[in-house]
Amino acid sequence: MKKRFLLIGSLLCSSMAFGQAYQLNMQGMRQLAMGGSGAAIPWDASAIFYNPGALSAMENPQVYASMNAIMPRTRYISAPTGTAMLDAKEQTFTPYNVYFATPVGYKTRFTAGFGIYTPFGTGISWDDNWTGRYLVQEMRLNTTFFQPTLAFQVTDEISVGAGFVYGIGNFEYRNAMPLLDVNGNEASRELTGRATGVGFNLGLHVKPTENVHFGITYRSQVNMKIRRGYARFSDIPGTVSSSYLNTGFESTLPMPQVLTAGFGWDINEWVTLQLEANYTGWGAYDSLRFDFQNNTDLLQDEASARRYRNSITLRAGTKINFRNERWSVMLGTAYIPSPVREGYLNPELPDAVHFLATGGLSWKLSKRISVIGALEYRFYEVRTGLSTEHGFKGKYHTKWLNPGLALTYDFN
Amino acid sequence: MKKLYILGAMLCGLSACKPNIEPKAPERGDADFSRYLAVGSSHTAGIMDRALYREGQGNSYPYMLAQQFRTVGGGDFKQPWVSGNHGWPVGKFMLDHVQGRCDTLPYLAVVPFRGALDTTGTYLNIYSTGPFGNMGIPETKVTDYLTTGFALSNKFANRMFDKPTTARPVDELLNTEHTFFTVWLGVEDVLNYAAAGGETAPSATNRNLITAPGAFHTAYDSVMSTVTRNGAKGTILTIPDVLQMPYFRAIPAKGMELDMRDANRLNLKYNSTQVHFDVGMNYFVIEDATAPNGYRQLREGELVRMDVPQDSIRCAGWGWEVPMPGTWVLTADEIQLIRGAVNSYNNTVLLMGKNYNIPVSDVRYYLQTVFENGAQYNGANYTAELIKGGFFSLDGRHFTGRGNALVANSIIHTINEHYGSSIPLVDVNNFSGVKLP
Repeated sequence: MKKRFLLIGSLLCSSMAFGQAYQLNMQGMRQLAMGGSGAAIPWDASAIFYNPGALSAMENPQVYASMNAIMPRTRYISAPTGTAMLDAKEQTFTPYNVYFATPVGYKTRFTAGFGIYTPFGTGISWDDNWTGRYLVQEMRLNTTFFQPTLAFQVTDEISVGAGFVYGIGNFEYRNAMPLLDVNGNEASRELTGRATGVGFNLGLHVKPTENVHFGITYRSQVNMKIRRGYARFSDIPGTVSSSYLNTGFESTLPMPQVLTAGFGWDINEWVTLQLEANYTGWGAYDSLRFDFQNNTDLLQDEASARRYRNSITLRAGTKINFRNERWSVMLGTAYIPSPVREGYLNPELPDAVHFLATGGLSWKLSKRISVIGALEYRFYEVRTGLSTEHGFKGKYHTKWLNPGLALTYDFN
Repeated sequence: MKKLYILGAMLCGLSACKPNIEPKAPERGDADFSRYLAVGSSHTAGIMDRALYREGQGNSYPYMLAQQFRTVGGGDFKQPWVSGNHGWPVGKFMLDHVQGRCDTLPYLAVVPFRGALDTTGTYLNIYSTGPFGNMGIPETKVTDYLTTGFALSNKFANRMFDKPTTARPVDELLNTEHTFFTVWLGVEDVLNYAAAGGETAPSATNRNLITAPGAFHTAYDSVMSTVTRNGAKGTILTIPDVLQMPYFRAIPAKGMELDMRDANRLNLKYNSTQVHFDVGMNYFVIEDATAPNGYRQLREGELVRMDVPQDSIRCAGWGWEVPMPGTWVLTADEIQLIRGAVNSYNNTVLLMGKNYNIPVSDVRYYLQTVFENGAQYNGANYTAELIKGGFFSLDGRHFTGRGNALVANSIIHTINEHYGSSIPLVDVNNFSGVKLP
């Protein structure tokens, strides 16, 4: 019963995981299996996310559902002469996607779709008494985006699409405070809040010949605004308790814009190749701000610098068909630089340069049902760095395993 | 969903998703840390909040160093533990709300522990549980190390010495057959004078006298030749600018706030003297035999002791209605004497380092950075401010556990640099800080 409760809990909490910083890039299982590339070739209804323009290729209505089980494992070693070693608590995060797409009528140029997906999230939980507890004990961010989408076939070669994005999310941050009461107990605080934001997703799909695809997409920045966050303080010594009364707070968490250019090539009837580059506007994450409703002498508004830098990600993937496309095997890789600069490496999200190795299998179970399984493994660089603002130095290593499963159902 | 979970768990079982970086094993380098001896005075013994108590001893910098030395072959390190946490031989300072005679509202103040002290058995000699690695003897000056039977006049030494009645403190330093040492001496040689407001009367043998540089040199040299006798290595510590400790900074010289009525009335009262008051903050009036009328106002740069009785200021009019006794302040002349002594002592320490080829841990420099910029450790900021700063304990002169840990880390840096060791740093935020009620 407890386990089931946990499962339900993790389902509700949905997509939390740190990946390319807090971007997940697993909004389609086939795409994940091909190194996360998917702007050029429309595979299924997940084109709602990967390229709304390519949605025009949908020949019949389709329902698509997928889920991942991300298992990030992070270890901290104190630097420079540290013997302290700590593993972050083992957690499993389950981002999911649900898409529905359909041509609008018979022989129409319009295709409509609706997507629910979880594009950003992060979560880490350290021991409450660990050496970095004044920076962070636990952080969680999850987002769910809702996207109604319309695609239009301009010519046989060109199609365009656009989607409106409404995002909801949850944010949670816990840390200890260097305040001791007479018994030596430390104070702590917890910031929680719901966030909402809007944005859009544009796509252009060009298919100059039968076996070549180009895709260009632009997903706008979505500013997830926390309007009524709540800051809760615990174990505050009596003498200063009036300075740390529970209060509301506001904050804005930017979900960065992503510009993607993709190329797809059906080399022959068995083998397809995809290449893709993403430009991610991480520069928007300049600082983590908390504007408290009731400021006191000791509780001032906070702005902790993050200064992420914009990054370019390169992805490549291939698909090989067997037995009349009833089976196919997918493989992929990606190079993902870290938007976290030197001097800004925080244990709340100790990001590092990494490579992906991905693979997957899809099986057309029947005329209507397909099953796709994918596995992602990330090779993170060991990173030693400093959070200058907090005087906190550490060596981090993350390993990441992420199996996923998708199911599509075609109404044909 | 559940299957996904199981699949993932199976794959993780293959250790594919467990990070495998390991910390480097600490190395001892060229020094032998197996038996560590800490030579020093109050700071070394673990005096905190003006008293010796068990938690303070457990948060002393030598105790921390000994723990870190264990990672590179350090052995047992014995401390002359006292029995409890209330303070000995006086009650430790705590923060509490008090209401003075002239105050309408209670305010937060530093007050002594009010219950029974940890005196049970504390005066007895406990050498049988020694010999002690922590030879920090509170209230000692360097020159005391050459005094035969010094323990008869120092209850701390009397507790922990092998031969309290006959030995000189310097003779007791060889009891542990140490292989590594730290020496932090010389603080009391000048701090006693400073903390007494520069008053040394009546006797010439008063312990508040500043130690003469020559005597300092001789005694320090004797300690050095003793602790290095068996080829032991170690590090010696410089003496900080004691005047920047919160004990002399908590109350500003220009700290008397007056309203217009009082200012006008006092200006009439002190008419035709050099004393003048304005509305707002004013320099305290102090006794000074060399000034006309025997009193004057403090000047910029002069200091007030933090333990000046607040009631006397508020109720008896110290510093405004009547001059404040000179023992509560440090005048410019006294400050000059103190600074001169600290400089001369530090020159001796540096010279000793050179003569005995022992690295000097420049605690003076480290504390100067704390006085000026504070210190930061893993998200916590420490400054020299009393109470809020977290570095100094409530007596304004000795450190909190976290202050001691930061000092210990600066010592470890010196040791690692000089001996090629890689002793891990102390996790500062795990030690005691200022406790707020």
